[in-house]
Amino acid sequence: MDIRLLRASDIPLIQHANLENLPENYFLKYYLYHALSWPQLSYVAVDVSRPQKSPYDYPKIVGYVLAKMEEEPADGVQHGHITSLSVMRTHRRLGIAEKLMRQSQLAMVETFGAHYVSLHVRVSNKAAIHLYRDTLGFKTERTESKYYADGEDAFSMKLDLDFIREQLREEEGGGEEKEGKESEKNAGK
Amino acid sequence: TGDAEDEVQPTAKSAEDRKAAAALSKLDDTRGDDEGATREVDQEAVKNAMSALGGGGDKKKETKVVKVDAADVKLLVEEFELPKAKATELLKAHDGDAVKAMKAYLQPTF
Amino acid sequence: AHVLRQEMGANLFRTVIRHYEDKQYKRGLKAAEQILKKNPKHGDTMSMKALILNAQGKTDEAFALAKDALTIDMKSYICWHVYGILYRANKNFDEAIKAYKFALKLEPDSHQIQRDLAVLQIQMRDYPGYIQSRLLMLKSRPQLRQNWTALAIAYHLDGNLQQAENILSTYEKSVTTTPLRTDLENSEALLYKNSIISETGDFERALEHLETDCKNCLDRLAVMELRARYLAQLGRKEDAAKAYRALLDRNAEHPDYYKGLIDALGIAADDEAALKAVYDEYAAKNPRCDAAKRLPLDFLSGDRFRTAAKAYLTLMFDKGVPSTFANLKHLYSDGFKKDTLPVLAEEYLKEHSGATDTGGQTNGDSSKGEGAALYFLAQHYNYYMSRDLSKATDFVEKAIKLDPKNVDFHMTKARIFKHQGEIAKAAEAMDHARSLDTKDRYINSKAAKYQLRNNENEKALATLGLFTRAETVGGPLADLTDMQCIWFLTEDGEAWQRRGNLGLALKRYHTVFNIFDIWQEDQFDFHSFSLRKGQIRAYVDLIRWEDRLREHPFYFRAALDAVNLYLSMHEKPQNGTNGVEGGHANGDDAAEKKKAAKKAKKEAQKAEREAAEKAAKQDPNKKSADGDEVKKKDDDPNGLKLAATADPLGDAMKFLWHLLQFSPKNIEGQIAGFEVFIRRSKYLLALRCLKAALAIDKDHPKIPEQASRLRKALDGAMSSLAPKVKEVIDSELASVPGA
Repeated sequence: MDIRLLRASDIPLIQHANLENLPENYFLKYYLYHALSWPQLSYVAVDVSRPQKSPYDYPKIVGYVLAKMEEEPADGVQHGHITSLSVMRTHRRLGIAEKLMRQSQLAMVETFGAHYVSLHVRVSNKAAIHLYRDTLGFKTERTESKYYADGEDAFSMKLDLDFIREQLREEEGGGEEKEGKESEKNAGK
Repeated sequence: TGDAEDEVQPTAKSAEDRKAAAALSKLDDTRGDDEGATREVDQEAVKNAMSALGGGGDKKKETKVVKVDAADVKLLVEEFELPKAKATELLKAHDGDAVKAMKAYLQPTF
Repeated sequence: AHVLRQEMGANLFRTVIRHYEDKQYKRGLKAAEQILKKNPKHGDTMSMKALILNAQGKTDEAFALAKDALTIDMKSYICWHVYGILYRANKNFDEAIKAYKFALKLEPDSHQIQRDLAVLQIQMRDYPGYIQSRLLMLKSRPQLRQNWTALAIAYHLDGNLQQAENILSTYEKSVTTTPLRTDLENSEALLYKNSIISETGDFERALEHLETDCKNCLDRLAVMELRARYLAQLGRKEDAAKAYRALLDRNAEHPDYYKGLIDALGIAADDEAALKAVYDEYAAKNPRCDAAKRLPLDFLSGDRFRTAAKAYLTLMFDKGVPSTFANLKHLYSDGFKKDTLPVLAEEYLKEHSGATDTGGQTNGDSSKGEGAALYFLAQHYNYYMSRDLSKATDFVEKAIKLDPKNVDFHMTKARIFKHQGEIAKAAEAMDHARSLDTKDRYINSKAAKYQLRNNENEKALATLGLFTRAETVGGPLADLTDMQCIWFLTEDGEAWQRRGNLGLALKRYHTVFNIFDIWQEDQFDFHSFSLRKGQIRAYVDLIRWEDRLREHPFYFRAALDAVNLYLSMHEKPQNGTNGVEGGHANGDDAAEKKKAAKKAKKEAQKAEREAAEKAAKQDPNKKSADGDEVKKKDDDPNGLKLAATADPLGDAMKFLWHLLQFSPKNIEGQIAGFEVFIRRSKYLLALRCLKAALAIDKDHPKIPEQASRLRKALDGAMSSLAPKVKEVIDSELASVPGA
């Protein structure tokens, strides 16, 4: 297994994984839209143990997280959003989904200054709800009725990302440079 | 009005689909392009940079003048089903020698 | 241009444009009609109306109107611009570029036309043209950073790294205010410049730039990764090791980081103990990490391997990780490892037999422990390098006995049937697996795939229909097509082909071809979108990938299928019925196939009728998800026109060119190419394929046969060949053995 950032060339097989696994599907362009708007936020899990079949093999995607920043946040607070997360049934129990999510969350804070991350999940999806709530610490905000095309409701969930900010601040060793402070480069040379 | 009603855009069934459709429909909206982040730039520096650009920056790559026989172009187009421009280019790259050009085109490129 | 005299009219015209931009086509049309009522020869309005008609799917009408507008008003830049837009919308990019250039001549200051032209140029990869356009755009608006970045991109893609870097630096120097640290566009522009410097190969300078200008860049991961790479390139091993350690602390599941660290530490490839120690450190730090535990199995040997593999298998079986076999099978190229792994699994099995019932460490979950080991062994004996299908059956049956409702176990049972050649049984078993978890789309997809392998197209579609969106007009097939579900389209086409329905087979392959067209077109909006977003490295990554889009195996497979099908159609032309007859059928088989094809055709027609009825019932006032844009009706849903072609070899070319251009190293494509070219008497092109095949695999069994056929064909044709061609063939054929 290899967990790494998504690249444009991964997208056909990400789309394939999505079509094979999930009822919510998207055009390739929607994946591109994520990859080109917030390239730091989407990750893939790649099966690196497959023998090559041709010189043009693409790495097989067994899991992915497709994430974005909310462009016009209703509450005015910068935050991320998980558009789609999937791990192949054959590759479960390795903690892939959790690892993908953690990478994405870190980048949301570092690159885009996100304060929290939100997502929707089918109310019947016990395994996913367990991951979000018990493993990652998401809280259920509300239920959105008939969110999905087949009429199922969604839980709208949210995770505060302050704990990541906290960690980053500690790592930086007491915040030598405050956010927003202008760098010392000579102006107007 | 009723008219406005039926112009309502996406009729995707789920909130999920509506989000995707909305994002995609906005991609080609270039109206804001000319109002992007502008910043004060030093006009003098820009002027200097511009004149430099107009000059040496984008000189055409030097190309040899090679005479190409129209019959040879026709031959290559016919044999390889190449567009005329490509066939001409191929001939030029081989000094207008059709035999050389054809031999080169036969070689695997990997 | 015809001037609208009244202020009212000019306002109205602006309204038309605004409605068009907002995709409010009906309103736009209304406003346009209002103008034309008073002023029927107003070229600009006619053009705008044409644009709206085109957006509504009325392409022919639109072109006719736009042409009329041009005849009335040749000097209107709007008319020319619209003409270009129409060509662009209908994918005639060369004509579109010409029209834009005309428009620009009439109105050199129009930003919009200039931008439309530039976008087309980059889409067509006309780099010199794009550079010129971006230069003009920069000159007219130097205060916009994206104009600088865009020009740098133009030079960069054209291969002029130095000029690209210059442009970016010039902008940086001319800015009079310092960007904020949170300025994402600035952060990305700096990293983009860094990527250009690193492409020149000057890692010294790239590192320096990274550590000074980019040290506060917001993409922390990129900065860390680049730094580690540069340090390694520069041989600064100690720093590189530190940098890779920092990366591993972020993400211990990325094998490249271990490799980077090991290289930096200078550990010899055969020093197994030292290598293992590196991974052990991270396994200890991250108890839930898989890579640190599994990767050492790649390089360990002998007892070291045995010990590590035992520990790993035990852990995986205890947890019941279903991908355990999939993650280890690459080790089978090593005979010792191939023999050791099943022995270890058997040992585990002995120790854990019956443990599940007692509810021991596996908590009564029978996919863990014993079940997991049985599952591993079933897969082991089902794998082509260690195949013993009766043993595989044994193990899978034991696993199923332990947990009769386990989807994975039943899935493997279906796979074993497949390898036994029992396609129908396999499909049945997979469908049974599906019935055990009807909420899981993965097993649903697999069941449908196996049904297709069993030539049950209708059943497969019904299976998939359990998950496609119910409201899509045209049913599951339309939904899967809309959603670009290539695996289904390809498998469905192959099944139709086996059933002798050439029309539907061709239809599916062409649909896959069209999806690749869409994917190529998809980059269009991003040429300006990405400049607005400022994520330049991702954009360059996109452009480079799009350049080789059709090398994808998804394309290759469907295209090769199509070429081979066209070849067989050429060999045995259809007797004009309806393109539903088999290629090589004879006797009873043929009658059987004919019957099946007839039935299939009937069913397809029925499905089509139903879809049409459903569509008719839809509220005509409701629009598709794309707003007013109307989907064009498919006038050949069953591929009858495709199958009725008089020139199958000519049609094959559409697929073949891309195969040869983008996957030249794939020998199947070269072999198919030869077959097409020799039938079309394109001897040089046939020879080209043959030479490529030789270079890929000189021992391929098809090569001598093709070589001698080419020789023979040439012997018959020599007198009719042009002397120059003859000369080329004489010298080139000599290097082909057997020719």
